[in-house]
Amino acid sequence: MMDSNMKWRLMTDQALQFRCWDDEFVVYNSLSGDTHLLDSTAAQILLKLQQAPSDATSLSESLAPLLHAEMDDELVIQIEQILSDLDTLVLIERT
Amino acid sequence: MILNVSGLAPSELEYRLRQTGIVLQTGSFITHLQTSIPGVAECISLLYADYPLLEQTDFADFHVSLAQPGNLRRWFRPQVLFLFDGSPPFKPLPLDQAFPMLEWGLNWCVSSQANRYLIIHAAVIEKGRYAAILPAPPGSGKSTLCAALVNRGWRLLSDELALIRVSDGKLIPLPRPVSLKNQSIDIIQNYEPGAVFSRKVNDTMKGTVAHMKAPADSITRATETAQAGWVIFPKYQAGASALLETLPRSRAFMRIADNAFNYSLLGVRGFEAMAGVIDASLCYDFTYSNLDDAIETFAALKPPISPM
Repeated sequence: MMDSNMKWRLMTDQALQFRCWDDEFVVYNSLSGDTHLLDSTAAQILLKLQQAPSDATSLSESLAPLLHAEMDDELVIQIEQILSDLDTLVLIERT
Repeated sequence: MILNVSGLAPSELEYRLRQTGIVLQTGSFITHLQTSIPGVAECISLLYADYPLLEQTDFADFHVSLAQPGNLRRWFRPQVLFLFDGSPPFKPLPLDQAFPMLEWGLNWCVSSQANRYLIIHAAVIEKGRYAAILPAPPGSGKSTLCAALVNRGWRLLSDELALIRVSDGKLIPLPRPVSLKNQSIDIIQNYEPGAVFSRKVNDTMKGTVAHMKAPADSITRATETAQAGWVIFPKYQAGASALLETLPRSRAFMRIADNAFNYSLLGVRGFEAMAGVIDASLCYDFTYSNLDDAIETFAALKPPISPM
């Protein structure tokens, strides 16, 4: 189980390009050359991490209003799962 | 004064091809072509009649030739080689397939060399300033649909390669003969009896193939770029009614990128160019079986809203 206070950041030396259409994001990773189709929540997490490293709890607090969701454990677990997926895609890393 | 291929008598064209080669302009590309293979001159005379011939001294993007390998097979099972700058990028094919091999080779020249463009495996047609890009895998009916549309008022930019200029996102024409295979040949010959075709060549890697001459107007306007207006993924499905379904742009982006030759190579410039095309376009899936219904559907396409 992930520590919800573990901090995450974008991969070092990685520049991401975003395009949003119809509530979905297409994200280009200049480091890997990969293009990803992401939902709005995953893309918002990347945009937040682009500003500064953060953890699942802080991300949940800041994204709850955008997602029209309650700030609760369920949301934190959901954000942790997305962070894990973004880690698998080599878009983010632990600080 | 620029001379077209049709300005040369067949014997003169054959002589030039054999001796010095010819310098042929197809859209933005200039090709120096040399061959003494019998029958190729005849196909060029038929399908490239309206294309400009340039002087031998002019620059050429591609130097290609068709030749017979100098081995024993020459005598009992003759073959043809496509040469690019003197080297063969492909294995030889049976001699009877010389003209299709030239066409495939010319496509390869563009798709492997012209990286100033984002290149997508797609047909491109234009009407009213806007281009429809039809990306699709083999077997989707892309070329059949494209051939029908260009015989019903749409301008042919290409039946095979969408060339997107990276600097401004414009679509660059490359109107060359339309490649059709198997049943599609008869379908289009029946659909447009006036269309000019090369003879059928059997037993190629794609089955039976024939090439349809590009409409003269498309060749005349071969330097006229177009603005992306629609991205439409066609799919032939026997018995299906024509059905145009809106496709989310994000999904269209991922699918069109899958059909690109050099998207990864261009890096972020490829992403930006692709995003520009998607931004400017209405995106659809299109299922069809009847060409008249397809023509009607395309005629009813609403133009995209122009950016301010």
